[in-house]
Amino acid sequence: MSTLVRASDLTQRVVVTFAGEDVAQIKDIVYAANGGEIGAFTLAGRGLFAGPLKVALPWPRVVGIGLDAVIIESEDVLVPVGEALDTATGSASSGRGDILKSQVLTDTGSALGRVTDVIIGIGAPGAQADVVGYEIEPAEALGRGKQPLLIPLPDTMAASGEHLIVPAMAANYLTNELAAFGSAIDTFRSQLGGVS
Amino acid sequence: MLFSEAVGRKVVSTSSAATVGHVGSFVIDPVAQRVAALSLKKTPVPGDLLPWSGITAFGVDAVTVGSEDHIIEEQGQLAELNNKAHAILKKRILTTSGLQVGTVTDVDFDPADGRILGILTEDQPIDGRALLGVGSYAVVVRG
Repeated sequence: MSTLVRASDLTQRVVVTFAGEDVAQIKDIVYAANGGEIGAFTLAGRGLFAGPLKVALPWPRVVGIGLDAVIIESEDVLVPVGEALDTATGSASSGRGDILKSQVLTDTGSALGRVTDVIIGIGAPGAQADVVGYEIEPAEALGRGKQPLLIPLPDTMAASGEHLIVPAMAANYLTNELAAFGSAIDTFRSQLGGVS
Repeated sequence: MLFSEAVGRKVVSTSSAATVGHVGSFVIDPVAQRVAALSLKKTPVPGDLLPWSGITAFGVDAVTVGSEDHIIEEQGQLAELNNKAHAILKKRILTTSGLQVGTVTDVDFDPADGRILGILTEDQPIDGRALLGVGSYAVVVRG
């Protein structure tokens, strides 16, 4: 089972090369495949006054991602930001197709809430970094209070930057604990597989 | 042999039998996973670097060299590796999976050929063959 992390926890994580140099830190996440997986990271320089960098880190070039750092082979694997954005669409907090704040709708048309964070499942090195769920600020109509809830996602889904469409079933798997979320995703996805 | 044991050891010229310095610190080539040179203290000549190739023997009581001519000034790749940013001791250790596994407390090396045998941490020692790089931010090891 892959490790689950919140996208917001990934930002500001330091990017270190094999040579042991801290070349950048994660600024933002660029999603690919309709918001279904991580495409690339945009980067900011290290240090107090360093601004955004003109290079980005494509996901396939990441060697390892852990609690303390993101490891890459060398600075040479970084590509110009434009290139990274072209291959992916929809950034977490800027530009077109903003996933944060967009409304989560079920395919039956009821609003579940607004996205406050993205949950990412990180598997073995070289594997995809799958977007497995969202943390949402629940809609009042749900009657689940104001605590953020976690909602599992199918492997593929539609995202427009305004709305995110999830199967109505997803509402049955809302949870408020990241620890319990892993099994919720598994059961949810296996159920979906059984239906379709 | 550990870095901490070897530091301060005298360096003696076999041709003149005179002490030509003391071991101050180690210059590491992380790619070759070897000690590239010794940085000496109290040398009688202008330079203070003794490349590993210039060492006759790394003995228990002294390091012997053919003559003090083997001691050179910083130059080229050695100067870069001797940079403070590449010092290994007390630096944080990151694995390639992005986890910090402690800081370097000492380094075990083979006195016969200068190979890095192990990296000592507060916790488990790390095999020297896992070493990938020593940079300004961290020591990176495979794992």
